[in-house]
Amino acid sequence: MSPKYLEGNKMISKDLSIEFLGVKFPNPFCLSSSPVGNDYDMCAKAYDTGFGGVVFKTIGPKDYVVDEVSPRFDSLSKESTPFVGFKNMEQIAEHSLEENLRDIIRLKNNYPSHVLIASIMGNNEKNWEDLARLVDKAGADMIEMNLSCPQMTSHAMGSDVGTNPELCESYCRAVKRGSRLPMMAKMTPNITDMVPVIKACLRGGADGIALINTVKSVCNVDLEKHVGLPIVDGKSSVSGYSGKATKPIALRFLSQIRQDPDLKDVPISGIGGIETWRDAAEFILLGASTLQMTTSIMQYGYRIVEDLSNGLMHYMEDEGVDHLSELVGLASSSIVPAENLNRDYIVYPLIDNDKCLGCGRCVISCYDGAHQALSFDEKERKPVFDKTKCVGCHLCAMVCPVGAISKGEIVFKPGRTKKEIKL
Amino acid sequence: MENIKAEKTMGVKEVIEEASRCLLCLDAPCSKMCPAGTDPAKFIRSVRFLNFKGAAETIRENNPLGSLCARLCPVEKYCELGCLRSGIDHPIDIASIQTYVTDFERENNMQILAKGVPNGKKVAIVGSGPSALSAAAELAREGYSVTVYEKQSKIGGYLRYGIPEYRLPTNVLDYEIERIKNLGVQFVLNKNIGIDIPFSEIEKSFDAVIVCLGLGKGKMIPPFIGKENVITAVDLLSKLKEGEIIELPDTVLVVGGGDVAMDVITSLKNKGVKKVVDVVYEEMNEFKASNKEKEIAFPLVDSLICGYIPTNMTNNEVEFKHRFIDSTLKIKADLIVLAVGQEVESASLPFVFKKGEAERYSEKVFFAGDIAHDDKSVVAAVKTGKEAAENVAKILGGK
Repeated sequence: MSPKYLEGNKMISKDLSIEFLGVKFPNPFCLSSSPVGNDYDMCAKAYDTGFGGVVFKTIGPKDYVVDEVSPRFDSLSKESTPFVGFKNMEQIAEHSLEENLRDIIRLKNNYPSHVLIASIMGNNEKNWEDLARLVDKAGADMIEMNLSCPQMTSHAMGSDVGTNPELCESYCRAVKRGSRLPMMAKMTPNITDMVPVIKACLRGGADGIALINTVKSVCNVDLEKHVGLPIVDGKSSVSGYSGKATKPIALRFLSQIRQDPDLKDVPISGIGGIETWRDAAEFILLGASTLQMTTSIMQYGYRIVEDLSNGLMHYMEDEGVDHLSELVGLASSSIVPAENLNRDYIVYPLIDNDKCLGCGRCVISCYDGAHQALSFDEKERKPVFDKTKCVGCHLCAMVCPVGAISKGEIVFKPGRTKKEIKL
Repeated sequence: MENIKAEKTMGVKEVIEEASRCLLCLDAPCSKMCPAGTDPAKFIRSVRFLNFKGAAETIRENNPLGSLCARLCPVEKYCELGCLRSGIDHPIDIASIQTYVTDFERENNMQILAKGVPNGKKVAIVGSGPSALSAAAELAREGYSVTVYEKQSKIGGYLRYGIPEYRLPTNVLDYEIERIKNLGVQFVLNKNIGIDIPFSEIEKSFDAVIVCLGLGKGKMIPPFIGKENVITAVDLLSKLKEGEIIELPDTVLVVGGGDVAMDVITSLKNKGVKKVVDVVYEEMNEFKASNKEKEIAFPLVDSLICGYIPTNMTNNEVEFKHRFIDSTLKIKADLIVLAVGQEVESASLPFVFKKGEAERYSEKVFFAGDIAHDDKSVVAAVKTGKEAAENVAKILGGK
């Protein structure tokens, strides 16, 4: 087929561009600072495939020697699904400072309309400042401060720093002394409350926040050898966990920040298990403007951006918006403190006996995991519902393999005022 | 006819589960093996990443008759033959995924293909079968003014008159035709080119002509020629589909082992014929029908005999002899259905055919469908239709 003929292409086309910290991104999809953005060729391929931005793999101080282990990854599976979660022991950029800066210069020369974010990590104020100056000079559009890598071999670097608000604030100030580029600080989830650290970073001059970095983890243990995985000469180590399993943790921090009145409008780049356009849309609805990913790329390749972009365009079309920014934060106000939820009613499950195959999984889960409101008619092979015992938890609906259980009757608790309920 | 459901349609969970079996290969073999240029690797990946709308776009982008191919294509000879998942267990059920996605597209009333900017060039298409519809869609997308001439009263050719309802629901075919009409393609029905309108007139009035003829006429072979109670499969299927045959006899002998023979067996059993006996020239290891067709027809046929050639017919009794072993066979039936191949019906047209394929005629006349040099399947028809459209664009210069 001649190329001209392909002009009949009628794939949907929507403007996915978005402004973040004053920089215009062709689309919100970026590589996060990790093995997937390790050098010029990788970043160029990512741009060519459709990523709007790249956070170049974290550049450390000139004298910091990266000395990696082998092997360095592990993955959590459930049933036949691999990569439910992913463990990574790799540290920051392996190339020399000069090589990395040269790659940044080349990338900006050849991809001027794509966004290049330099991720940096120092171990004292002086080299944070120096690194900021160097990447600014190389032409980066933005700086991301890596305050959160959990696998660094020095306590002066990595996620330990990210739990210390004073240190974060002073390092942010140092970076701002080195460069006037827009800057975001990347948060560690290995902390109870992220808000004090974010406020410290903002005081130090950060313009935005990237969240989350990886979660400290031990993924699996080899049962014969009695060693955690991956095995490095008979030993293993705690290191960062990422991928789909971490999405809920990222969304929790994201929504929690939006509940703080001072942080309602702080620009956020969302990270954590993004794989499909639906994941992307969830981060956006909870307040992220740009999105970063690694694990899904390590599993599937840069090509995931094709369905991320196309799917998000269709979602915009369905939502009737022309600019992605119109979707940012639309769900933020839906996440409220638990004490603010309406506790006046119970919504009972509604079982569709025509759809029901009679497997009895709902009965098992209701008995063993909930309130014994379902019993089993062995002759008919159908669940029998006892409303007096049901608390309306809907565990039954979640385990049903054919979606035969939906939300049914709404009943108000005694003495509570009836009102319209949004299910 | 409704009691047999060939369509085991998947639900959303099942289709995602099936797509999750896909190995997401680099340089995927499945996508290289589709004659129509459909890109299964890409649309399966879209399904895997929950982008159903994007999957539908990918299918349409490459194959304007995607929902027909999903149902009719002998996938085990094309995309599924290339599937590397077979190295683990069995290939991805690409046809079912494609059926799900195109159903999703229809249910969501997506309008993926769009009419091109009019370029002032006029193209006539003779026939309205799969190759014609494919060519018409491609040309309309490029801005050509397309007129399709069909001798029958309904659009679709063999899709309409030859393929049984259980394999291709009429509403699916109608919807596909509707969306091609939406591209601005004009259909002129009940006009047999060469009889009602001279071919030369069509050639004169249009900038290019694509002749899209299928093998629309069932073959008659000795010893059946001129005998009573013998009908070709094509005639039988067309009459059944149009509701012309109300009553069928108790015993029917089918001769042939291709997809059409399977369609006949399934249709007859659906109509309640008591005994359907099929005698096939090929032996089991050379059986021609596609897996999908066999899966439906085999449990229904009452007797299936392989390796025999018909030698004689007296009254309603047919004699057969085995191709290799010393064996003869006599079968008596009320009706004998011949599904032993089809030929082109072209007496009224000024073309020369060699082994059923049309010879080059003039600068501005192109051929597609079974009379083009290619496989004789729906997916090949889509391909040759696309190619003819491409060739028209080459000589007319497109936009």
